[in-house]
This record gives sequence, C-alpha cells and structure tokens, in this order.
Amino acid sequence: MADYEPVLLRNVGVDGSRTLDVYRARGGYKAAEKVVKDMTADDVIDEVKRAGLRGRGGAGFPAGVKWGFLPKGRKRTLLCVNADESEPPTFCNRVLMEHDPHQVIEGIIIAGYATRAQIAYVYMRVEFHEQFHIMQNAIDEAYAAGLLGKNILGSGYDLEVYVHRGAGAYVCGEETGLIESIEGKRGYPRIKPPFPAVEGLFRMPTVVNNVETLANLPHIIERGADWFLGIGTPSSAGPKLFCVCGPVNRPGCYEAPMTITCEELIMGDAFGRGMTDNLPVKAVFPGGTSMGVITGDELQMKMDFDDPRNFGMLGLGTAAAVVVNNKTDIRAVLRNVARFYALESCGQCTQCREGTNWMYRIASRIEHGAGRIEDLDLIEEVAGRMGMMPGLSICGLPDGATFPIQGIVRKFRGELEEHIANQEPGKAEAVLSVLN
Amino acid sequence: MAKITIDHRVIECSDGIPVLQAALDAGWDIPHYCYHPGLTVVASCRLCLMEMQLPHPKTGEMGWVPKLLPSCQTPVRDGMVVRFDSDLVRDNQKSCMEYFLIDHPLDCPVCDQAGECHLQDYSYKFGSAASRMADQKHTNPKKDIGPKTLLYSDRCVLCTRCVRFTEEVSGTHELCSVNRGSRQEIDVFPGMPLDNPIQGNVVDVCPVGSLLDKDFLFKQRVWFLDGTPSICPGCSAGCAIRVDQNEDVVYRLKPRFNPGVNDWWMCDEGRFGYKYVHDAKRIAAPVLRRGADATTPDWEAIPEIVSYRFAQHVAKHGDDKIAVVLSPMMACEEAWLLVKFIRGVAPSATIATGFVPTSGEAQHFPVGCKPDEAKFTILPEKCPNRRGVELITERAGGNTCDFDAFVKQAVGGAYSGAWIVGGYPDEWVPKDLTKATKHLKLLVMQDMFENTLTEAAAIVLPACAWVERDGSFMNHTGKIQPFERAVRVPQGARRDGQYLFEIAGHGGLYSGERVREMMAEEMSEFSEVGDAPPKPVHQH
Repeated sequence: MADYEPVLLRNVGVDGSRTLDVYRARGGYKAAEKVVKDMTADDVIDEVKRAGLRGRGGAGFPAGVKWGFLPKGRKRTLLCVNADESEPPTFCNRVLMEHDPHQVIEGIIIAGYATRAQIAYVYMRVEFHEQFHIMQNAIDEAYAAGLLGKNILGSGYDLEVYVHRGAGAYVCGEETGLIESIEGKRGYPRIKPPFPAVEGLFRMPTVVNNVETLANLPHIIERGADWFLGIGTPSSAGPKLFCVCGPVNRPGCYEAPMTITCEELIMGDAFGRGMTDNLPVKAVFPGGTSMGVITGDELQMKMDFDDPRNFGMLGLGTAAAVVVNNKTDIRAVLRNVARFYALESCGQCTQCREGTNWMYRIASRIEHGAGRIEDLDLIEEVAGRMGMMPGLSICGLPDGATFPIQGIVRKFRGELEEHIANQEPGKAEAVLSVLN
Repeated sequence: MAKITIDHRVIECSDGIPVLQAALDAGWDIPHYCYHPGLTVVASCRLCLMEMQLPHPKTGEMGWVPKLLPSCQTPVRDGMVVRFDSDLVRDNQKSCMEYFLIDHPLDCPVCDQAGECHLQDYSYKFGSAASRMADQKHTNPKKDIGPKTLLYSDRCVLCTRCVRFTEEVSGTHELCSVNRGSRQEIDVFPGMPLDNPIQGNVVDVCPVGSLLDKDFLFKQRVWFLDGTPSICPGCSAGCAIRVDQNEDVVYRLKPRFNPGVNDWWMCDEGRFGYKYVHDAKRIAAPVLRRGADATTPDWEAIPEIVSYRFAQHVAKHGDDKIAVVLSPMMACEEAWLLVKFIRGVAPSATIATGFVPTSGEAQHFPVGCKPDEAKFTILPEKCPNRRGVELITERAGGNTCDFDAFVKQAVGGAYSGAWIVGGYPDEWVPKDLTKATKHLKLLVMQDMFENTLTEAAAIVLPACAWVERDGSFMNHTGKIQPFERAVRVPQGARRDGQYLFEIAGHGGLYSGERVREMMAEEMSEFSEVGDAPPKPVHQH
C-alpha cells in the first residue's frame, strides 16, 4: 500500500491548507465549478451512482440512491451534513474539517446542486470547538469568494450554508435524531416512515450525508466514476479514511483503499506501525465500537463493507479501530463499552433504555469481581433483545450496543468465565445482598 | 372498510387506522403504553409489536417478515395479514414487561393506581413473576409538579403520553423529558408548574401510578369504587364522565370517551367541581311554612299539599298569575314533569327559563388555536341544560318568557304564585327577585342551598345534585345525553324526579328512561338519546 497516493488527505500537512487560496491553488473548487456550470443535477446523481459511492457515516448506504429517494416535483430540499462524528474512536471527519474545510464545502456545493437543495446545515457536535471556527472561517471565505450564497460562480444556483452545533448527544448522529436536534427539539430519532427524503427537517424533503461522503464528491466529479471504481473493490470502491487508536505506535487517521486488512492498519509502516512494547493484540473494535469486536486471531479481516460480516460484526461502520492489548482486562473493556451505550441511549424505546443500563450494571459488577456465571448468559440475552434488526427500536443505537457486547461475551467467554471462577468466593452473593 | 386478518381471524375495520386500534376495537387485548388514540403515535414503548406478512422482495411470495413491527404505527391496509399469537411476539412482551419493572419500585400496596394499573395488569397477563434484575435499582425522585398533581417518576414507564398531552391537546407545554437513557424522567420547566385548566387529564392518560391527583391521593382504593356513567353539569359542553363513588361518597370524576363532544378529556373545573354534593349545608328535607310556623311534612303528603295549594291559589287569583321558573340545572325529564303539573292546574301559567350562570369566555385548547380547530373547549355557560329547558319551555306553548323578563314582571307584581327552581352550586338569586317575593303569596322553592328565596317560600323542596338524580341534559350543540344516578340522596331528601313524578300525578318509581318514553310521544327529540359509546377496551 506504500504506493497509494492520498486523495482525501492530500492537503493535510500543506501549509495554510485551511485557506481558500491554498485550496484553490491545489486544484480546489474546479469540480464545483464544473458541476454548477456544465452539469445538470441528474448528471451529478448518475455519476455518483455509477461510482457506487457508499455513505461513509457507518451504514454504507449508496449516496446516489439516497438522493434518488427525494420526491419528484418537490419545491424545497434541505441538505444536512452530518458532522456529529460521535462514534467512540472516530476522528476522520475532524481531520477533514480541521485541515481541509474547503474540500468539505466543495462537497456540500456538489451534493446541494445534485439534490437541488437551497439550504445546507452542517450539524457539528458541540465538542468540536476549534473545528467549528475553522469551518465557519472557511464558509465565510467561500461566501466572500462567491462560492456560496446567491448565484454561485455566476451559475444561478443558490445555496446557503449554516453550521449548527449540537449539545453533546451520541444519538444526534442518527439522521432523524440530528434532524430533530436542528429543529431545536430533544434529539429523539423519529419513527420511519416517513423517511427524511420525503419528510425530514422542518417537514421538508431532506438529505443527510456524512462529511467524508461529501469530501469524496469533488474527486468523483473531477476524476470520474471510473477512477473511483478503480480504487478498492467494486462493492467497496473509492478512498476511505481509517482511524486507529489505542496502544499502537502511531495512532492516527490514514487514507487507504478498502482492500486493507485490519492487521495492516495496526502493523503497517504507513499506518499504526505496530503495538507499543510489541504486546500482542487481544481485541480490536475495527469499525468504531458499535460494529462489534474481533480477536487478535481475526486480524486478517478486510476493512471493506462486506468482510466484517463474516466475523460477526454489524458492518464496516466508521472504520475506526480501537486496539486492545493483552494487558487489558476484558471485563473493563466490557464495562466501558456498556457504559457508553447506557449513557447515550436516548431513552425513547424501552428495550434500549432499560437494557443498556441493565447491561452496564451487570458489566460493572463483573468488573468489580462480583460476577456470577449466569450473568454472562443474561447479558448476552439482554443484548440480543434490543435493536432495529429484530424490530425492537426506532433507531440503530441499540444494535450498536448489541454487537460489541455480544461480541465480547461470545468471543472472550473463556476469559470472562475464568475471571469469575477466580473471584473471591461468595463475593457476588455478598455484593448482591448489599445492593438489595 | 378494509378486511384484515389478525391471528387467522378476518375482521373488518376502517382503512388507515393503526392495526393496534383495529385489534383493540375487535376485542384483542394488546398490551401498549405509549399509544393513545387522542395523541400522536411515537411507537416508543415497543410493547404492541406484531408480526406481519409481506411479499418477499425477490420471489414476491407472501411470508412473515423476520422482524417485529409496531402495530400502533402500522396503518391498516386491505388484505393485510398480521399476528400477535406467535412466540416472537409473546417473547417480546415478556421481556418488555421485565424491562419496565427493572427500576420500578413495586410499591403497589401504597400506590393509588393499584387496581387499575396497566403495569400490574400487563405483568400479570404478559410478564413473568420473577425479575432477573439483581443489581441496585435506580430510583428517580418523587416530585411536586403543580398545585393539583404529583409526579412519582420512580414509577414512570416513560410512555410520554403526558408530555404529548401538554404539547398537543392543552398546548401549554409544561411537561418535558429530561436526561437520557434509564435516567430519563418527566419534569416541568423551572418556575413553570403544571397548572392549566385541563391538566387533570395527564393523570388519566398515565397508564401507571406515576402522575397522581392530589385531590384523590390516598383517599380510596380503586377497587372499592363503583363507576356510574354520567354527564358533567359544569358547563354546557356536556362532557361524558364517570362518577366514582363508594358508599354514596363521590371520590372522583373521570372523563369517558365521547367522540365529538369531549373525546377523551375533561376540564379541572368539572373534575373537581363536584365538592358541593357533600356540603353539609345542603337542604335535605322539605319545609312547609304557615305564617311563622315551619314544619317538615312527610314526603308522602307533599303531592297533595302542593296540588291543594296551587288549586286554592288558582281559585282565588286566577291561573294567569302563576309562573314556573325552570332551572337549566334540571334534567329535561324533571322540567317536563313540572310543566305538565303546572299546566294541569293552571293552563295559562307562565313558563320561564331559569337563570343561566356564565363566567368568562370560552377557553379553547390547544391554547391559542382557532375555535373550529379546538380539541377541547370549556364553555362560559356554567349549566348543563339551558337548551333542554328552552326546548321544553318552547314546546309547552302558551305563556313563556325568559329569566330576565320573568324577574322584571315579578318585580312589577305580575305574579302572585310561583314555583322557582334553583339547584345551583353557587349563590345565584338576583336582588330584584328577592324584592319580588313580597308580591308572591304562594312560592314553591326548589333549591339546594338556603337563600333569600327559600326563606320567603311557603314550600321548600330540596333540589338534589346531579349525581343523585337521573335524566338527560341537552348540551350546547343540541345533543341529548342521559346520565345515571350514582349515589343515593342525603337522608331525608328525595330525588327531584321522584317527587315531581308524583306531583305530576304518576304512581310508582321515577326513572329517566320511563319519563323519556312519555315525552317522546309529544317530542320526537327524546325518542332516541345519544349516549356516549361504551368504554373502548384500549382506554387507560
């Protein structure tokens, strides 16, 4: 992979990459100009469809197809840019907005033009303070240069862009939760149908796209769908950003085609450069925590949209890997993962609201050395009784809690059982009798 | 109409309604919390989930979808096939009930809702006896959220019906959800208590014992209460209500579903406005005055005394100097009996409609909506039957007038004999009318509380509260709605209907239905009365 030339990250590290001048000097806004001047909206959609660009936010839904769901004859369309990026180890959108905000804005213009949107909202998580200012400065620059606002580049196309900051909720990264949040409401995901493409933000047809998805658009337009399809595999085409963090020598955000394996991401010279102190890998959450876990023996997993399913994972997710070394107590990992979902469940659906917290309570008790062997079955059962896939929730958050927790309990059951067997005798009973 | 198959049984229902509603209407007991027909669907309790058949995306063959679908959110379409009797559905109901009880305090012995609690009922029917939750329960606080309502958020199942009620029906937005996940709770905004004229409904929509009525708190276990269908006499809207009583004491009023009138709701004014029923100052026995001498006659003697007095009066002063004032608090039947009696002894007597108490303007909900878009309205006319007595007055023919005209004529000495009906919970006698009593040689006063007229009356008859009577009221739209007797009259008193029935010359027991049959012969309006439909199964 040494010969791979980064596309999305090509401006990262360049002096003044945040400024319009540098971005333009390096070929920026040519795609946007081409789109608004020479192409029709349908041309853009067709090109993106042909490139097979799949959403980079986690679900991997083809972006062109999503745009195609917008009703014909609509009067207004709104574009929401999902910059909530709240999946635990994920920070690739942050890198894009921090170092190359104009690439994102160019993507917004192209997507806005393709969907005939008049207004775009960039929904940014509240923790992105610096990134907010960088983005806002870039947007101001773009407005001043006539790239946003009325009559973009003299083409007659108008697009207003607003940055809307969230209030710190994981669930607002879910597209309908995000829409509710922009509307000023509590970030409760909506029941579907109606889907946002039909009735979304302010009850108008809405498209929600991830930052990284949009960052791909200028390149697809500039270099063509065939170039895009030439990278990776047909079902997982195009460049992709990968994050790796945890006890690796060089944690960070890297770009690669989706033919890369998890092992290469951790060990590769261009990527993580191996584990600190050469400790063995115990577990990896390769797609953000929500997608599930693989063990150190499953590192040959390809980081594309299909292969993770073969390893009991939900999908590629955000392609951000957290690595766990063999010095880490798996009980602490379980508790930490469970805690996240217990805190972030929005509280709407019963199974998720109560189940995530129940799992957290069980996991905490196991970590404190007061687990019972039946707790493992219980936690697995509770995890299996939530989520959108069995139809038990409105949004996908509980699915994201199911996969890592079930994955840990299934794949590390031996270790967990060993810990429970080696506990101080009678501690579980003693703790439970105090609790009740 | 659509035909759908639920659990292998084909039922007919309207197109587009939620499958849950269709199933409930057809008699299935499907557990549900967040769904309420009067509120928007949020599909968040995930208890009413069902299985549905859809064509396979590739083969087109019909088959069960491998996931559960919320029946409250799925609209009925002709030919659809769903089922609730599968293991998948039952498993979900069972685990869901376990989840609801994870942090629930199980304080049923001290909970007001016990006995009519859907957490109890559903746990018993769909849940399991034991919980596998061994860890510490998280306890949300008990909160005083308004002058009339308490919120025990530890018992809450977070169906958000109450929040949606304040958003969609009252339009006052006092309630909201705060915090996330299992720490989520319902709360009010700081400095903005739950205090609107229809806030009592949040207690009704709460399926568990989380929202509590301070007025009813710890007063009575609900299984001791007997409910009687009734109509609220608080204003001319004619809301269908249920009177909950035990041993002749009314403990609370609850709304009944009455489409187009009050739907599922009632106002606080009506809900808490029954307290006068148990006022110790009520007139509980008839009084007969001869000069300064006052006695309490036997009820059996009353018809004869009244008839004799009127006959004597007519003989002395002629029959055109007699007036009857029909109170809009009376039932149609009672008013009709009184008219029959008077016109029998004095054919040219004047029939007047009584005092109509009013207060303020009509209040439409949601607050700020246009009157024709209102989901609930409190009317300014604070009596239940103005249109009913007007109708009876009109049909009586001959000399009739309204209350103001009557007072004017009475002050001018136009009448020497009168039968005035009151029955208002509040003071009502206009000063002029008190002055007019000097002209009245025979005054029969039928009222609930002592006032200047009862002091001047030759015969005082106790008027009973509506919960002690039965009959029908005609609401402001002209809908005639019957109400039943919920409690017995105070000792010594007799139902208005009963003594008027006897005075009008009938024997036996009075019943509203019986009198309505007689009335129907001359007034077709009364041949059919519009009772509210029986309580739908789903209503909790």
